[in-house]
Amino acid sequence: MQIQCTWTCSELRLRPSTFLRFSKHLRKNIGCVGKRGRPNSFIAAMSSVTTTTDNEVASNQNGPTHDANPPLQIAKRLEKFKTTIFTQMSNLAIKHGAINLGQGFPNFDGPEFVKEAAIQAIKNGKNQYARGYGVPDFNSAIAERFKKDTGLVADPEKEITVTSGCTEAIAATILGLINPGDEVILFAPFYDSYEATLSMAGAKITGITLRPPDFSVPIEELKSKISKNTRAIMINTPHNPTGKMFTREELSTIASLCIENDVLVFSDEVYDKLAFEQDHISMASLPGMWERTVTMNSLGKTFSLTGWKIGWAIAPPHLTWGVRQAHAFLTFATSTPMQWAAATALRAPDSYYEELKRDYMAKKAILVEGLKAVGFKVFPSSGTYFVVVDHTPFGRANNDIEFCEYLIKEVGVVAIPTSVFYLNPEEGKNLVRFTFCKDEGTLRAAVERMKQKLLGK
Amino acid sequence: MEGKLSSVAKHFKPSPIQELSHLAQKSNAINLAEGFPDFPAPLLLKSSAISAINSDFNQYRHVQGICDLLAKKVKIMHGLNVNPLTDIAICCGQSEAFAAAVFATIDKDDEVILFDPSYETYEACVTIARGVPVYVALDPPHWTLDPEKLRKSFTEKTKAVVLNSPQNPTGKVFSEDELELIAEECRTRNCFAITDEVYEHITFDNNKHISLASLPGMQERTIITSSLSKSFSVTGWRVGWAIAPPFIASAIRNIHVKITDSAPAPFQEAALTALRSPPEYFESLRRGYESKRDYVIKMLEGVGFKFQFKPQGAFFLFAELPEDCPLSDVEYVKKLIQKAGVVAVPGCGFFHTNLALKKSFQVDYSYQNRYIRFAFCKSNATLASAAQKLGSMRSLSLFTS
Repeated sequence: MQIQCTWTCSELRLRPSTFLRFSKHLRKNIGCVGKRGRPNSFIAAMSSVTTTTDNEVASNQNGPTHDANPPLQIAKRLEKFKTTIFTQMSNLAIKHGAINLGQGFPNFDGPEFVKEAAIQAIKNGKNQYARGYGVPDFNSAIAERFKKDTGLVADPEKEITVTSGCTEAIAATILGLINPGDEVILFAPFYDSYEATLSMAGAKITGITLRPPDFSVPIEELKSKISKNTRAIMINTPHNPTGKMFTREELSTIASLCIENDVLVFSDEVYDKLAFEQDHISMASLPGMWERTVTMNSLGKTFSLTGWKIGWAIAPPHLTWGVRQAHAFLTFATSTPMQWAAATALRAPDSYYEELKRDYMAKKAILVEGLKAVGFKVFPSSGTYFVVVDHTPFGRANNDIEFCEYLIKEVGVVAIPTSVFYLNPEEGKNLVRFTFCKDEGTLRAAVERMKQKLLGK
Repeated sequence: MEGKLSSVAKHFKPSPIQELSHLAQKSNAINLAEGFPDFPAPLLLKSSAISAINSDFNQYRHVQGICDLLAKKVKIMHGLNVNPLTDIAICCGQSEAFAAAVFATIDKDDEVILFDPSYETYEACVTIARGVPVYVALDPPHWTLDPEKLRKSFTEKTKAVVLNSPQNPTGKVFSEDELELIAEECRTRNCFAITDEVYEHITFDNNKHISLASLPGMQERTIITSSLSKSFSVTGWRVGWAIAPPFIASAIRNIHVKITDSAPAPFQEAALTALRSPPEYFESLRRGYESKRDYVIKMLEGVGFKFQFKPQGAFFLFAELPEDCPLSDVEYVKKLIQKAGVVAVPGCGFFHTNLALKKSFQVDYSYQNRYIRFAFCKSNATLASAAQKLGSMRSLSLFTS
């Protein structure tokens, strides 16, 4: 087990007042939590949790030089940008030496040939600003791969934009294409940057919940909620956290509703190469959908290099224009040497992808068998490296957060409470998410701990 | 479906800098337009990044060591006491740090003061955040700050002042007196200050970079943004930061996590090496750029430019067209590309007229078409080529078609 932390927890000081405020906000204001979960926001948890009405916090933090003026207010849009509950989990995990199956990134590294390509790029002087929307050869590689995967022809110059990870592709798409007051439909549970970024753009969010056991799209509900006033619908397939993959039928229905009501689709397909139980289908490839879809993806999940921050958005020129405008002012350009390496990565032979799938399927088998043996109700996950389970058979907790805390303290394993992925946290209280993007030793060790502490109790 | 663009995206036009770049590329001209080096990054840094990749520092991470080193640095440079655990957010370049700082502080209709001329991106960020940019023109030829102009730009709606020093495009380094003027307004009106200090290590002659945050009463309201890019010639690595009071730094961090989640991991590791550079590194950086500045000034004087103001920092020359030149900046640059094979940036893109001030001061703003920005962050070989090309064009008049 490796936790990629470069600081020591003992150095952190929590002001008691800050901590209390944090706990009060725990259930009420969970807008954004470490979806893929990482220690980044760890530090944020140790500083103040702020809202625009939190004057107390502002004056506490301003140090001894108070002036008579009221404290400076941070922007109202930050209501959805609070620190994450997951940071508390991370802290707890480290404290108890728990095995972390919560974090959505691998504890093994990317392939040598890609790392070598990055090293060569650095040595060859590819260290200055890249063209804003992408290194030309990389844009071409993206187009080539996209054609292989979907049959669609995307113009590397006009229809592809490189971003700092898929997260930035999402931010640029939303900020570039959504006006304040626009209605956007989201399927819950969702990757939390969607909600946060949509609220930053001033969108009006309409949620549709996907429910166990198969998390299928409730068509009637969708039909009742989509209208000519809807600006866009966000889909994520394969889906984080459930592992659901949207079927052709579901996509077709969504497509026809979008065409009928002139709605855009923002499609996050970052796990497209981790499609196990069925083939991945890109929304943009359905008839009539290319002209209204932004397809987003990244290098990180497919090549186990999540820290390189190489992502992209593919869309017709009139939509790409908006994405590029926002991107230009969000980050201006994306890491140059990594783009060169990414071009090499995307030209990997099919055998790379086949081996990737085989490896992940073996890992998944270890985890799923283990979770079932222990007594969780495990929902089938067709893609991604996540699995969602119902913890209630253990009767150990009233909700997902309590269960996760129990799991860390008493069992020594970390999972993510899913309530943070819903507009209404209540909907996730029975469900927790495990990841299997860890080496087999780690997975087996985690299963062992769960068998020892959870079985037969 | 063009109607589907957000109103904010429709507002923006393509960058004049990038358009001219395309023309330059087509004509194979020497590029003194774009602000990034054409010489290699420091070897030690590259090795550090390579080593990080090989040591598997390739997943999402936050390298706390960067914050520790930055806290030490601002203490030494500016006497600021900053808590590395709470006051610093690592971002994908100063670009993202600035965007996040604006999103963290600016609400709809908030006014933000910007100094004219200025880098185009500041206004864009303010506009995306639905704030209102308000320009205070610096007075040519020395780009001085007029206290009256400054004072008159503030209203009850002013939320923040953006300060870039050393400045792009002029190379001005704001003096302590000017900083005090700005600080006074910020303090009395309870405004934020967002600074862009990316050229902090590039100052010339006896000019010293002073951070606005180091003035009395300013640390609690200032967000410093900066990066590795210009100081270490790695503009393509995207490692930057924001330093601010904890409640703002945490807001910026939260936004950053939603926009990009993490700065590139191996380069964060390499940043540790960069930030440990000894004073000799920065001294040699400074001296190197100073001699390039002097070289390019001589080169341009040779073709008729006169410099009333020599850059005090950064790596740009904001040259005023010779008096007898009838061309506008754009026309001149086009001629420069076509006839002399050298590219620069017309200054008009950096200017924005403040209509309200224009009325009250009856100033002639026609100078805004008379400036050209030359970048001298280029290898000596490149600069020598440029000099040669310009020199051989001296006999030909650039003003006839």
